[in-house]
Amino acid sequence: MKKLSLLGLLVLMLLILGACGGGDDAETNGGDAEESVVAGADLEDATELSFWTFAGTHADFYADAAEKWNEENPDKAIKLTVGTYPFDQMHNNLLLALQSGSGAPDLADIEIAKFPNFLKGDIQLEPLNDLIEPELESFVEERLDIYAADDIYYGAPTHLGATVVYYNQEIMDEAGVDIDSIKTWDDYVDAGKQVVNTTGKPMTTIPTNWYGIWPFVTQKESDFFNIDGEFTLDNEENIETLEFINSLINEHEIAEIAPGGNYHSEEFYGFMNEEGQASIVIPMYYMKDFVEYMPDLEGKMQIRPMPLAPGSETQSVAMGGTGTAVISQSEHTDLAKEFLYFAKLSKEGNIRLWTELGFDPPRWDVWEEPEVRADNIYYEFFHEDIFDILLTIKDDVAGINLSEYTPDVLSEIDSNIMHNVLREGNQTPEEALKQSADTIRQKMESAN
Amino acid sequence: MTNKKFKQNTKDYEFGGGNIAEPPMRKRTRGFLNSKNVVPYVFVSPFIISFLILTLYPTIQAFIMSFQRILPGQVTFIGFQNYERIFNPAFFKALSNTTIYTIATVFVLVLVPLILAILLDSKFVRFKTIFRSALFIPSLTSVVVAGIIFRLFFAESESSIANQMIGLFGFDPVSWQYTGWSGMLLMVLIASWRWMGVNVLYFLAGLQNISKELYESADIDGANIFQKFLYITLPSLKPIMVFVTTISIIGGFRVFEESYVLWEGNSPGNIGLTLVGYLYQQGIQQNDMGFGAAIGVIILLIIFIVSILYLLITGGFKRGDE
Amino acid sequence: MKKKNDTVTKWLLTIIIAIIAFIALFPLISLIISSFRPSTELMRDGITFSINWNELSLDNYVYIFTQAGEYWQWYGNSLIVSALTIILSLFFSSMVGYSLALYNFKGRNLIFLFVLVIIMIPFEVLMLPLYQLMIDIKLINTYTGIMLPLIVSPTAVFFFRQYAMGLPQELMDAARIDGCTEYGIFFKVMAPLMLPSFAAMAILQGLHSWNNFLWPLLVIRSNDLFTLPIGLATLLTPYGNNYDILIAGAVMTVIPIVILFGLFQRYFVAGLTTGGIKG
Repeated sequence: MKKLSLLGLLVLMLLILGACGGGDDAETNGGDAEESVVAGADLEDATELSFWTFAGTHADFYADAAEKWNEENPDKAIKLTVGTYPFDQMHNNLLLALQSGSGAPDLADIEIAKFPNFLKGDIQLEPLNDLIEPELESFVEERLDIYAADDIYYGAPTHLGATVVYYNQEIMDEAGVDIDSIKTWDDYVDAGKQVVNTTGKPMTTIPTNWYGIWPFVTQKESDFFNIDGEFTLDNEENIETLEFINSLINEHEIAEIAPGGNYHSEEFYGFMNEEGQASIVIPMYYMKDFVEYMPDLEGKMQIRPMPLAPGSETQSVAMGGTGTAVISQSEHTDLAKEFLYFAKLSKEGNIRLWTELGFDPPRWDVWEEPEVRADNIYYEFFHEDIFDILLTIKDDVAGINLSEYTPDVLSEIDSNIMHNVLREGNQTPEEALKQSADTIRQKMESAN
Repeated sequence: MTNKKFKQNTKDYEFGGGNIAEPPMRKRTRGFLNSKNVVPYVFVSPFIISFLILTLYPTIQAFIMSFQRILPGQVTFIGFQNYERIFNPAFFKALSNTTIYTIATVFVLVLVPLILAILLDSKFVRFKTIFRSALFIPSLTSVVVAGIIFRLFFAESESSIANQMIGLFGFDPVSWQYTGWSGMLLMVLIASWRWMGVNVLYFLAGLQNISKELYESADIDGANIFQKFLYITLPSLKPIMVFVTTISIIGGFRVFEESYVLWEGNSPGNIGLTLVGYLYQQGIQQNDMGFGAAIGVIILLIIFIVSILYLLITGGFKRGDE
Repeated sequence: MKKKNDTVTKWLLTIIIAIIAFIALFPLISLIISSFRPSTELMRDGITFSINWNELSLDNYVYIFTQAGEYWQWYGNSLIVSALTIILSLFFSSMVGYSLALYNFKGRNLIFLFVLVIIMIPFEVLMLPLYQLMIDIKLINTYTGIMLPLIVSPTAVFFFRQYAMGLPQELMDAARIDGCTEYGIFFKVMAPLMLPSFAAMAILQGLHSWNNFLWPLLVIRSNDLFTLPIGLATLLTPYGNNYDILIAGAVMTVIPIVILFGLFQRYFVAGLTTGGIKG
């Protein structure tokens, strides 16, 4: 009898499964969560291409692009399957698939902080130079260099990611500060003090991940690795920069640590939406986050270039961003490259990056196209002259240098530097940077 | 794939159970397979196969990998370089976190369940089954779900339960997930919450195995309740305490998931970095498999040494095997 | 006088235990209540005492039952994987444990020693080489790949062996005289006697497999094969942005395993009592 009940339960479990097997109609209901998006499934001779990404919005973008591709290239039709995975897992699995020589997709989105991991050993990504070089002048080159090693381009950028400051006009007005009078970081600090004194709100918040330091480091024309790949994490400029950031919080007291520790957490969205801070320094792509998660700020935010650092002309830095790569394991690398050009590198693709995703296109030659200038939600939420601002600063955008050890640096920043200096205050900027730099140097030495 | 495998197994089963009625022609084979000398090996064969393929082979492989640098398309033998690199601040942070975590969880997960089991076993308590189940149910939640619960419980916001409670005592809100002591507290809490019930059951089982006669004769000798506890209950529970402590130690040094669900790999100030977490971070996230394997070998050594020491001290080797 | 004292102790102890039991269940209870709150707000403010009772609604559950196809797919996957793991691991581990307990054969002690050693090896250490092995034998992204390392569980073998040691050997001899084969003895005579241990292990193995996280995270590549813990972890990332499913979904993951426990808990405790812990 008891044995029967055990079997019975298992049978029951299997029956429940059967009942859930109606996955088909459940799926047609959609649901905006993770799932595979397939484009061109109904085409018979279509070449199958697979695509991995970690952002649902990107998946839709590529599926749309594939539909358009099939309309324009019926002879080279593709059936594109886009899978969306958790951020960490997608990158891990891709690394392991490349490591083991099988199981990788044809194309994949690789986030900037992870990209250098893919440039180690025998690089398993296809060079994109033949696509990019003929039109190199139309791009803001700094963005392309991020995904390059030894002058070979491996990634197609998703956006320029020009770092700007979003000011909350209402708070600034209340404090009696004219936004356009803020030209340098000194002005910014003065304005911040005025904001704190009159409104009691912080001028900004600092995330404890690399968004809280890298833009400022780059703006000072320094970096974690210089252009020759030398390790510069603990150089004079970077120590000064971190001291400056620290002073915003602990000396001038015009900044706090971002709720949730970063700019992409629910805690932060809530804080920002309820007008918790007067300004935020972040790349342009954050427009989308405003529209989606902070609807109450509509019409209140003003976009401006970054204030100038002493002795530097740099008005913005290209930050964040995902590079799309063609994987060498693919059996259809040529077709995958052609499609990638169509979807992201061409003029049309760049226009769609703006119209569909709200990203500032890396090709500046589309910034004045009528499609880009046509009305859309971003102009309504913010203001009309977004691209005019970008055009004025396009020659003063600094890029970043990546090295195969950049992920280690970013991981040190996330887990040690920012925490110890800003939150705990148990290390000076110099101590923290030196200690982390030593750890990484040790790793670099042992690899040689 | 899966289905096929399953069917094959069912066949084995039928073969095992049904060969009584097989035709005499195959009697010889059947006789051989049915001999008392062969049958035990047939029975243990799944273990041997799985041991060779899924334990021995990967262990050897892990040792080999720990002497290599592994990059796509390039595997180089680099001697002890991975090991030379291991002893850095991050590793020691992971080691100290893991050790503190192990000590804390062993302490909580042996002491509290022991007391609870004794209470539950006492004749004074009513509704035993209900309480037993209530204590066990948290063990049924996955670590992911537990992580979600505790993250929300200990959210940074002033209105989270944890901050409301300390607020009652006049404390300021705490950023639980971002401070050293509270990060550790969260990990220990998650583990304690999830494993408490299991250990209570182990101790209950142990208590129920103590013969009632022992207590009765103690009653006759006029022993009071504490003497009975000290001279009968505790000594009789020793084997089970050794067992529970051993699995808690091993579990403690293996800790990873509690940290992963709270911080997804990178915790501020490495407050949640554990040994296995370090292996995961370096071996998988940073794609340094050789170094990850070396960390694994060190973890293995630590666990072996600690548990063997513990078993030697407590005399745990004397039981279990005849 | 003494009797009165007893009653007082009785209720006092019962109340103490009741409070502890409530504390143990409190996190789950609060999660259940919170699952009726708007999910974005929940993620922002955390679980709180100051609940606005008016804003509680069934929205999250309506959403999960009507919109969240992928959630149910993960659910189904987890059920399949767990059911198969329970069946297979019980089948194999009980045979091994039984044989180690009741047969005398060369190498028996050595094998038992290996069982004990494997219990001590953390799976995480073997993870990387095992992962490569799975790729080599083409089991990556399959359920077989997830289940394989769990099928012959050393803990279960140890447990079954301890349990079987307590079985009367005379029954085996009697069955032999009746003409049973050795296999028949196990499946028809002895295994039924071991049922409490099967129940205990069904729960523990089911629990383990249902909640297994790290290994499936590596092995599974496609969304449609995700198991629940991985699927839920997906929803925790900033890019997932699907807290509607997350909280209600988390509540519902606990249900099948509570049912399993409810069905077997009687045997579970009995199984543990006579099993693993005997010296």
